[in-house]
This record gives sequence, C-alpha cells and structure tokens, in this order.
Amino acid sequence: MTWLKLVEGYMPMQMITELAICILVFSIINYSLKRAGMGLPKFWAGIFVWCFVNLFYLKYRIYPPIPFSVRAIYGTVAACGIFMWVSGSQQEWEEFKRPIINVLDAKTGMTKFIRTALLILLPIGLWGFAYNSFLPSFDEPIELRTVHPAPPATTKVHGKTYVLQTAANPYRVNPEGKYDQAYSNAHIVSQDMGRLMKDVKNPEDNPWDPNAKGYIKHVREGGEIFFQNCHFCHGDNLNGRGLWAFAFNPIPANFTDAGTIAQLQETFVFWRVAKGGIGLPGEGFPWASVMPPWEQHLTVDEIWKVIMFEYWHTGYYPRTWE
Amino acid sequence: MNEIQFDTGHFEKRMVMNETTTPGYGRRGLGAWLLSCGLLIGGLGFATTSHAEMAEGFAEGSRPAPPSAEQIEAGKRVYFTKCVWCHGVDGAGDGPGADRLWPRPRNFNAGTFKIRHTASGELPLIDVDLFQTVTHGLPGSAMPSWEGILTEDQRRDVLAFVTSELVKDRSWQDTEFEEFHVLQLEKIEPVPPTAESVKRGSELVKEMKCIECHGLEGRGDGNAFNLKDDWGFSIQPADWHKCWNFRGSRQDAYNVKNIFRTFSTGVSGTPMPSFADNTTVEDRWHIANYVASLCERDKDVDIAGGNVTDEIAAELVAAQPRGIDPLTDKPKVDFVVPSKFVEGELPADEHDERWDLVDRRIVAMGGQITHKPRNFVTRIDDVWIQSLYNDTHISFMFRWDDRTKSVQEDEVDWEPYEVNLADYGIEEQPPGGSMFADDPEHPESIAAKQTAYQVFNDGLAFQFPIKWQELPAPRKPRYFWGDEGFPVDITKWTADGELKAYQGTGWDVDFDDRDDFTEELNVVKAEWTNGRWTVIVTRPLKGDYEEDAYIELGKYIPINFFVWDGHNGDVGRKMAVSAFYYLVLEPPIEKETYIYPTIAAIGLVLVEGWILTRRANRRKGKV
Repeated sequence: MTWLKLVEGYMPMQMITELAICILVFSIINYSLKRAGMGLPKFWAGIFVWCFVNLFYLKYRIYPPIPFSVRAIYGTVAACGIFMWVSGSQQEWEEFKRPIINVLDAKTGMTKFIRTALLILLPIGLWGFAYNSFLPSFDEPIELRTVHPAPPATTKVHGKTYVLQTAANPYRVNPEGKYDQAYSNAHIVSQDMGRLMKDVKNPEDNPWDPNAKGYIKHVREGGEIFFQNCHFCHGDNLNGRGLWAFAFNPIPANFTDAGTIAQLQETFVFWRVAKGGIGLPGEGFPWASVMPPWEQHLTVDEIWKVIMFEYWHTGYYPRTWE
Repeated sequence: MNEIQFDTGHFEKRMVMNETTTPGYGRRGLGAWLLSCGLLIGGLGFATTSHAEMAEGFAEGSRPAPPSAEQIEAGKRVYFTKCVWCHGVDGAGDGPGADRLWPRPRNFNAGTFKIRHTASGELPLIDVDLFQTVTHGLPGSAMPSWEGILTEDQRRDVLAFVTSELVKDRSWQDTEFEEFHVLQLEKIEPVPPTAESVKRGSELVKEMKCIECHGLEGRGDGNAFNLKDDWGFSIQPADWHKCWNFRGSRQDAYNVKNIFRTFSTGVSGTPMPSFADNTTVEDRWHIANYVASLCERDKDVDIAGGNVTDEIAAELVAAQPRGIDPLTDKPKVDFVVPSKFVEGELPADEHDERWDLVDRRIVAMGGQITHKPRNFVTRIDDVWIQSLYNDTHISFMFRWDDRTKSVQEDEVDWEPYEVNLADYGIEEQPPGGSMFADDPEHPESIAAKQTAYQVFNDGLAFQFPIKWQELPAPRKPRYFWGDEGFPVDITKWTADGELKAYQGTGWDVDFDDRDDFTEELNVVKAEWTNGRWTVIVTRPLKGDYEEDAYIELGKYIPINFFVWDGHNGDVGRKMAVSAFYYLVLEPPIEKETYIYPTIAAIGLVLVEGWILTRRANRRKGKV
C-alpha cells in the first residue's frame, strides 16, 4: 500500500484512526442497508469484519510486519469481540447461527453441495495446515538486546578518567565561558519552526556566520565531524538511516527519536561514543555492533563537540540530574 | 516514414546560444558535446527534417514563477540547517562531508541537475524534478529522502533558495536563453513489458551502444572505468541489475517509467546522453522494459551475455520483483541462509539444476567503518549466496556484481595473514573539506582518487565461530574476526585463486594459518564474466573440533561476510562487511511430518460424522 504512507513516529495513532474510520464506515453501510431493508446477514458480516481486521489489516498494512503469534492473539481477541456482538440477544444469535444450521441440515441442493464440499475440504485443509506446521521452519531467532545498558561509574578515554555523574561538556558554555545549559538550550534548532534555525542572520543562532563564537561555533565544528564520520550510518537526518544502515544489525540509533539521546545524559552519550559497540556490556551485544570506539578516531574534544551538535540539530536537551 | 529524426534546428540553436552567452560551467561545450554525441549515436544515415522542433514525446513547458523573498529567506534557514553540511555554504558541493563521499554532493552553481523531465541541457522543473529529488532522495548516493523530515512547504522553500541563490550561472527566469521542453511522461502510453518488447529492447541496447558503458549484461562493467563527470570526478555507469540504486528511482525501483524518463532526457553533467532525438518513443519503451526486466527478481535469469532469446525474454518477464524494504529502499534482507541436502556430488558449476532447490539470499554489505583504515566507499553493496550440502561437504555459491576484475599484479610487502597494513601505507581517506575550501577540483577528495588506487585482489571471506555449539545464545565472537577467547574460523578467497582457512582472534591480530584445513578447501569455480563474480567453494562439514567450525544439521550457525574490491583499493581491513546471518542446514523431512497430520485429518472426519449423526438424531426427535 504505497498510496497511503505510514509516517514514522505517528504509526500507532495513524493505525488506530484508520481502523476507527473503517469500523465507522462499515457501521454506516450496515445501518443504511438495514434501513433500506437489505441488511447484511449477521453471519457474513461477522466473518467479513474478522477477515478484514486480522487477515488483511494486521497482515498487510502494519509495517514492520508483526509476528504470527502476536497476530494470533489479536485474531482471538477480535473473534471474541465479534462473538459478543453477534450474540447480543437470543434473536441475534439465532440469526447468526442460521446459515450454519442450514448447511448442516442440507435441505436444498445448494446447501447439500456446500455441506459435501465442506466435509471433504475441511480434513484436507487441516492436513495441509498441520503438515505445514510440522515442517521444520527456520525463521530468524528472536534475540533481545538492551539498547541503553547501565553505564559504568567512570570511563577512561585517552588516558584520562571521567566520572559519568560529574563530567560536563566543556563546550556547552555561555558567552562568558561558563557551563550553561540554559543558554545552550535557548540556541538549539527551534522546535516550533520544524527544527530549523531561529534566525539565520544572528551570529548567536547561525553556526555558519563568520562571526559565530563560543557555543554555536563549536556546534558547527561538531557538525563537521558528524558529516565526516557519523552520517554513513546515522544518516544526514540523524534518524539512523544512513548509506549503510540497510546492511547492519543492530540498526544505527535514531537520534530524532525521543527514546535515544533525548532521554540520556550527555555523559552517557560520551561513554557510548568513546567506547563504541565493542565497549558495550554483554546485554548490548558488543559482538554485533559496528559502532566504532570513537576514541580510536577522534579526540575527547571532538567527541564532546559532536555530541553537542547532535542535541542542537535534533532540538533535544540532554537529561540532567535535576 | 521519418520516425527517427535528427533534429538539426534544435542543435543549431544550441550552438548559437553557446557562442553568445556568458557561459556557465555546465553549459560550456554542452551544445557541441550534444551534437557530437548525436552524430556519434545517430550516425549520418538519418533523415533530417526542418519542421521538427522537439523530440517525440516532448511538449513546450512553462516557466516557473520567481519565488517570493520570504520563501527564499525561509528556505535559507532550511538550507543552513540541513543541506549545508554536504553542499557547502556557496552550494558548490564542497561542504565538510564532501571529501569522503562518492558520488560527491551536487555543485548547484552551474545549474546542472541529473534527473529531469526537461530536454537534455535544459534546467529541471523545480516543482517536479527537484521537488521529487528532495522528497525521495537519490539512492546509491548519500542524499536521503527528506519526506517526513521536512514538511512539503519547507522542501519547496529550500528549493526556492537553492534555485535562486545557489544556482549562479543560469536562471529559470532567463527568458532569452532558457527553454523548457518537457517530457510528457504521464500522457505517453507505455508499451506493455511483454517478452517481445524485452527482446527488442535487448537488441536496441546493442544498436544504440548502451552496452559500451553499461556492459553486455548491463552490470555497468563496460569500457567505462575512466569516465568522468563535468567536474572531472570519476563516475560509473549504472548497474541495471540494481534498480533500487538508480538515482532517479524515486523510491519506486521497479517502475519502468523512471527508466524511460532517464533514457529520454539523459543525465546532465555525466556522459549519459539523452536518446530522445534518435529513438522513437516506442523504441525507448522497449529499452526501458528490457532494463527494468534485468533488475534482480525472485529468479536469477541467465541472459547469456545479452543475447536474449525468446525463451530468456519470457523468463525475464515471468520473474517477479523482489520485496523492497520501505525503511531502507533496498531489497528486504532475510538473515537466515538456508542450505539444502543433495545426494551425491555437489554441483560443479552454476548451471547445475540443483541450485534451484534452494532460495538465493541477498547479503547486504556496508563499508567497514569501525576500525582504521575505514572504508567510506563500497563499490560492492551486496552479495548473493546459495548453499547446498551432501553427507560430507557443504558448497557455497557467491555471486556479486563487480564492475572490474581486480587481480593484484605488483608484489606487496605484507604476508596474506597480516591485518595491520597501516605500517605499509594503507590508510583511510582524510576528512578534508571545510566550509572554506576553494579548489574546485578537490584533488585530495575520495571522488578524485577513485580511479587512481593501487589495484589489489578482489576477495570474499566468511567466518563462523569455532565451537559455536558451546556459546550461550545469543553470545557470538565479534563480527570482525572474533575476539580473545572467542576465535573464529575464517575462509578467505582471493582473485589470485587462493582459498585459505585462517583462525581470527581479533580485528587487529594477525590471522593464524590453518594449513591442514586449507588443504580440504576447494575452489570449484571462480570466474568473472560481464561484471559479475561467480565463486563456488566447498568445505568439509567437519574438521578438527578445536580449530574448525563443525557444520551441523538443523542448527543456527552464525556466519558473516567480507568482500574486497581491488580497484577500490580494498585490502586488509579496508573492505565491505555484513551483519551476522545464520546458516541453517535444513534436514531432510522426517516421517512424523506426514503421520501426525494424517491422524489429525482422520480425527476431524470422525468428529464430522459425530456432529452430523447428532444433528440428524435431533431432527428425527423433533419430527
């Protein structure tokens, strides 16, 4: 379904809305048909709704695809819901099961034919289904990885030990040269303008201004490092969809997602950048991550600058102890 | 019947234009170049007509309205947040990221844009061509899709800024010299991709000499290694088998219209000309259908060096497109590589019918960017793998597109088992490129160096954990040649014909030779033809348990891959790598698989009988 795009970050809301619209449309059609005296048989309406939700919507619309076991749970829940709907009153229940009874009784030629067909096809179908489920299947094993494992208390980078609780980004400074998160927060890429710079003419806001000084100049230097080193995986949008993201597993982190740098302290990011994939504890799968230990490629200053750039560009603040 | 027209009027106008304007970079020599190209390709045998103003399928387009100052100002903010990092402060394609990129970011100054609906040499349509480029990105380059990141208004704003401030040599508002002849892509009736059309297309690509650059089988391996773009940077012809990497694929890789458009309007700034003036619309569809049919599908159709017969054409048409992952715009990756059992000898070449027993899998390859020397350009971005096994051995067939066969000719100072080659001068590309760079040729950039590397061997390697049976899942040795305490079994093939077994214990530790096992390895076939390597290797399922990975049935065995392109200067740690995959030797089907379903089916028949009897009794009771 390429004509209806799923927007990243809004997928759940989009899907709930879509399903709600579908149910509404179905109810309206059902109601108006009933008013017109051509009401849909309960039996077929129930089967149609179940097939639509479970076979069609959950299987083909949702992306990335959900595993069969999860779909089976949703399918059962949907079946229960539909069962409650069709058995709301004794009369409705009679109406629902009438087609089934009719086929069982086989009084007309048509129902006789359907009954015979079902009697033969059901065992064959069951055989095929059971055979399929007995065939050894080799799906990719599910391996659960901790994306943000617990950090160590200290980390040693380029011969110097950093205490993660007390270390601070030396470039997050106000014009007086003091560490000042409020100042830097005021100069990140503005959220209300779609994450774009506030004022391209103001040297305090524009890292490309030749007069840019202090914080905003360091942001530019961090950006230069990012676009020489990091974008290959983390992408030009910082959304983890770089040139080679398709080749790697685990996939590169998406910094624009509220679940990554936005909920981490700057020193945690510093530790992760400096030590890379190989420096992760076991639950983070250090053997699989291609994230470089950046201490092999960058200086400590460069690491701090690139971290500051990542916050500036995504418009997030690092988490603090307060 | 003058279906093929050589449009003299058009070219003459261009020649005059060329002499009288203050020339921009892209325009200088363009007319003359086009003319010579037209002569070369069209030959002298075509009839000339004076009344023809436009090539078939084109119509007069309208000039875009100049953007408002507010829009340009808003676009400037977008540009200096998102685009400047690669395209640079003056839009000269020389931002901080540029020197490590190939292809290099676009230099906007000359107004030369690759993907257009407008006739060759003309400026693109801003609200169609450039808007789609920003929206969908340019696959195969670092330009991403900006949809979902920038709103539609922001994308239009940034184009207003780029087209009015950064395109410096030409102007959309220049009524004297700029014309817009637009390909009527939506109005032209496509020719359906039938076997006849595909076969005709395969003949036309020879007649039109497409194969001179794109290669006999269209893998971009023609006589084209030294091609350059307008700025003097090396450039390579498209590989028709990877439509998802076509710059103009617009996140709709298998859509033949994209190919028809590129073929009709050419790729400005590159040696790829427009064929609008010397092919009919119908012929262009045939060619587009053929090119689209070559893009990798569920079945690997052998096109026999481009000599497409009726049978091959029918097979090409019948093959189904592969699923494209909408999150990456590349073919979907399945991390399980199946291997199937065959009786007797393993296949001796790629034509053995038993390869059809098992699915081929695509292994996505990315640059090795974890440790020095990092590899910022991968000429090989995927490898296809198939595997079969018998009672004693397992066979792997690797096939991958590589435009150049690279076999090392000069002696090197290091031994094959050595991995730290920095001492021998193998270094990574320096970052270069700052906002103040001013040399337009960027001689130190990766794009300028692409054809100048010392040539090493092409190669392919794969690794298994040694004693993987004892690893507590999901623990694995490090993907990069293992680590201390978790050694790996490495099998490495190089284009000089060597196939060797090594033990790896870390990314920076020299390999240990495993000479006993090396003797058991066998290169069944290693051949480079028409831009593709086919390498078939076999190895015993079992060796020495302590040193060689035991390949067992029905188990998930971690495996990952490495590939080197010698013409890319790949050697040692400079290469492309894959993520971890799992090799699974599918065991033959057991008896239980048939018995239990039969019991279940018989049970269901009994239940049916019971229900019917009960119902019948009930009705009797009622009556």
